[in-house]
Amino acid sequence: MKRIETEILVIGGGATGTGVAWDAALRGFKVVLIERRDLTHGTTGRYHGLLHSGGRYVVKDPQSAVECIHENRILRKTHAHCIEDTGGFFVVTPEDEGPYPDKFVEGCAATGVPCHEISIAAALRREPLLNPRISRVFEVPDGSSDSFLATHATAQAARQAGAQLLIYHELYSLIIEGAAENGTQRVLGARVHDAAKGHDVEIRAALTINATGAWAGQVTAMAGIRISVIPGKGTMVAMNHRALNTVVNRCKMPADGDIIVPVHTVAVIGTTDERVADPENLRIEPWEVNLMLEEGDKMVPGLSRARVVRAWAGVRPLYQEDYAGASRDATRKFALLDHRERHNVAGFITITGGKWTTFRLMAEKTVDMAAEHLGTRRPCTTASTSVPGTQQGAYWLGHRLHEIEENALQGELICECELVTRAMLENAARQNPTITLDDLRRDVRLGMGPCQGGFCTYRAVGIVHALGQAGVWQGDAGHQTHAAEEWDVAMMQSPAHNVAESSPQQGTADRAETCTPRLFNPNLLLRDFLQERWKGVLPILWGRQLKQERLDELIYLAVLNADHLPDAALTSPLSEFYRFDTTPNDKEVRA
Amino acid sequence: MNTNTSRGEADLLVIGAGLSGLMAAWQAARAGLRVHVIAKGAPSLHWTAGTVDVLGYMAAASATAVADPMNALSALPGYHPYSLLGAAQVRAALADFLALTEAAGLPYVQGDGNWLLPSAVGALRPTWLTPQAQAAGDARRTAPMLIVGFSGLRDFYPHLIAENLGKQGVPARAAMLPLELISTARDRNAIHLAHALDEPQRHQALGRALRQLVQPGERIGLPALLGLEDHGATWAALQSAAGAALFEIPMLPPSVPGTRLFQAIRRSLRDLGVRVDMGIEAIRSHTAAGRIEWVETATSARPMRLSAACYLLASGGVLGGGFDSDHTGRMREVVFDLPLTVPQRRSHWFRAEFMHPAGQPVFQGGVAVTAAMQPCHPDDPAQPLYANLWAAGGVLAGADPIQERSLEGIALTSGWAVAQALARR
Repeated sequence: MKRIETEILVIGGGATGTGVAWDAALRGFKVVLIERRDLTHGTTGRYHGLLHSGGRYVVKDPQSAVECIHENRILRKTHAHCIEDTGGFFVVTPEDEGPYPDKFVEGCAATGVPCHEISIAAALRREPLLNPRISRVFEVPDGSSDSFLATHATAQAARQAGAQLLIYHELYSLIIEGAAENGTQRVLGARVHDAAKGHDVEIRAALTINATGAWAGQVTAMAGIRISVIPGKGTMVAMNHRALNTVVNRCKMPADGDIIVPVHTVAVIGTTDERVADPENLRIEPWEVNLMLEEGDKMVPGLSRARVVRAWAGVRPLYQEDYAGASRDATRKFALLDHRERHNVAGFITITGGKWTTFRLMAEKTVDMAAEHLGTRRPCTTASTSVPGTQQGAYWLGHRLHEIEENALQGELICECELVTRAMLENAARQNPTITLDDLRRDVRLGMGPCQGGFCTYRAVGIVHALGQAGVWQGDAGHQTHAAEEWDVAMMQSPAHNVAESSPQQGTADRAETCTPRLFNPNLLLRDFLQERWKGVLPILWGRQLKQERLDELIYLAVLNADHLPDAALTSPLSEFYRFDTTPNDKEVRA
Repeated sequence: MNTNTSRGEADLLVIGAGLSGLMAAWQAARAGLRVHVIAKGAPSLHWTAGTVDVLGYMAAASATAVADPMNALSALPGYHPYSLLGAAQVRAALADFLALTEAAGLPYVQGDGNWLLPSAVGALRPTWLTPQAQAAGDARRTAPMLIVGFSGLRDFYPHLIAENLGKQGVPARAAMLPLELISTARDRNAIHLAHALDEPQRHQALGRALRQLVQPGERIGLPALLGLEDHGATWAALQSAAGAALFEIPMLPPSVPGTRLFQAIRRSLRDLGVRVDMGIEAIRSHTAAGRIEWVETATSARPMRLSAACYLLASGGVLGGGFDSDHTGRMREVVFDLPLTVPQRRSHWFRAEFMHPAGQPVFQGGVAVTAAMQPCHPDDPAQPLYANLWAAGGVLAGADPIQERSLEGIALTSGWAVAQALARR
């Protein structure tokens, strides 16, 4: 079995885990991160994209509000290119009259969240589709964020600081010595399975950090520790039009469907909040979609009649404290658990809960505790360290179109919806195990537009197949530690900065091992991605999106006959996940 | 009244300019009827492979291609459009289509059974009639293939095609040529490239390059962009210059072979004096005493009413925009609000798999018709709903034409049958 020695092992490649790896590496620790699929495959890649101003929490949870505005200001600097400065409105709709708006203003003042009331006329000038029957509007510094790009950029920063990030490495057991009874139990690392290569790896670490969010309880259970982390499902609906360029929140106690976030080319209505048993396979019920559309109409009348692109669900980790003893653990909206103190299990920390906006702070507190465990004190520097790409400045919606027009790259587009060029895809694919095209989707937004992969799936398969034939992934599948300069995350999303190579690069000589060939089968890539896209459109297929779906059928069945390709029996590690049944069922009412 | 009304000049108003509407118009005009075709926009011909799929797969055994659809028609269920039409009408309609395309200078070819033609991903498409330029790709023949692509062309990947053909026992290899042999334009839209190849001076250079690549005994597969207006001459000239049989492989939309077919039929209709108006969307209708009185269209200035003796709904179902639906799971036919056999509940529309062998149930439903292709009462298949209304093509209930690869076959034969019925009146 392959062995790796490290100081800190981080389990989980979401925003939090990646942030922990970045922070720990910057403080000089030797860090290895494992993620069982792609970075952001879990909750981080399935949220609505709101960069909180804190306004949402000023009444309900002032401590969270203070943290949010603090982190909001930091992330706008450290992750500038991942954030669009949309600003945010809190609007009082006819349903929201009452004492809340005044409490909101007081709460903003008390927590330091900047808040200015503006006139309805001014709000409507800025957002003409906003409900004209609103009675008050408060402006706050909300924003929208690209959690895929931000995590990739953080990961790149972590790599540059020396961290090793291993994706498609699934945890199957913790290495434990000693016995819980006499208080000598200790986590020494983990045994993981490398899904791309099909072999196991043993990672020995002085400290293991569990950053698996809604899955945290499953990981602690491997050490015999029971904690209560309940997965809270949030369903979101992406509308085909931005409708708004400003984040709009209802000015009331946080509830279902009370926020619209313009992010990239869509407007996301979010969210529901349902406790579920399994964080893995999430059904989207018809009532959830209907509720999002109805609530969206209260902020933007008529929004429900616009075309819906997709629906999806993420799981919040809802941590429930059941530890009665005195604690110096951080007890905020995130939970930082010292298992040495709580459960007599040394070398093991869990960080869970929280929200994307506070991921950096969570990482800071976690690594503070980690340093203490490792018997040292080293200051955190992430608040003043920019990740790669920040030099591009704040995100703006038109950047891809601008670059494509400036450089006359129209002929290079392989995803017209999201303006992805061939070179962007090729460069992303070179650095990816490409177990599924969904990995490339997270890198460059392939297939995320109105046609949901109708045109780009075929093209991406053709391009990735050509790279495979040229031996790009010979040996190391590109998913091990890259030389920091090799994978230019900063330019990943830029049409202008991705230059096509005339012929795909040959694999380098030191990549000696061969990959498991099944993972690079073009027919499997095609089937998996079409199915992955299908899963997310099923809950919202009607009207024009149904017509679009029929066109996609025309292309893949009638024109390409892709349902009769060879290798029909092959499956990938993701095939089963994509096959989970999300067809609408008859549960039209809320359970 | 603030609508314009156009009164009764036409014997037949055809709604939709896809294959079903065009075929009906052609056949009716040949029988001496005055025909007016209106369509919202470009029909789905512009998205298809340009072949005539009659029946590629049976729902019950969808893993294996149908060898000869003419022998398989009798196995279809009674409610299937082909069963309503009967094998004799299916054959007669297809024969007329061959005559139409031959006369229009875009000849189609029938084989002995379904052709098996390589797709742009290297699967083998079972199809009944193929444009002449695709026929040499028939995978039932043993001659090895050379699949040639063009660097930078985003909708054609010869190495992928060749690899998949090889896995299916079809000997094939791949090669790339510079796209500059066709065009130096920045935009690589297939239609633009096909236009570029209409120019004879490009044929020699491309033909020479192909001749250098090809080995004796090989046939050459190329992306379907060998000319648009002057396709026949382009294909012949390239074939001669290359010194080998050339065949086209249809690409993603926009479809060059489909566009050629649309243009060829439209020319034939023009010669017959049929008016084809694009950009006119039928949005509702008025009925009285069991007859359609007029159809209202959305035009730029104000609504317009079109009336005719008879009406053909050929608006293409979900794909063509003939049906609309909302999040409550209501599916409706847009112009006449005809009853649909589609389940009126979204939970019954789909299966968990995108490529389920039995297709998505929502696309099985449509307008139920009498044996004479007239929309019928939901409970009585012998009873027409309106005395002067017919339906053809994608709107028809009882088949999922994309799933079973019968899209063009059902369209052509049902459109033809409506015209025959009208001509007999």
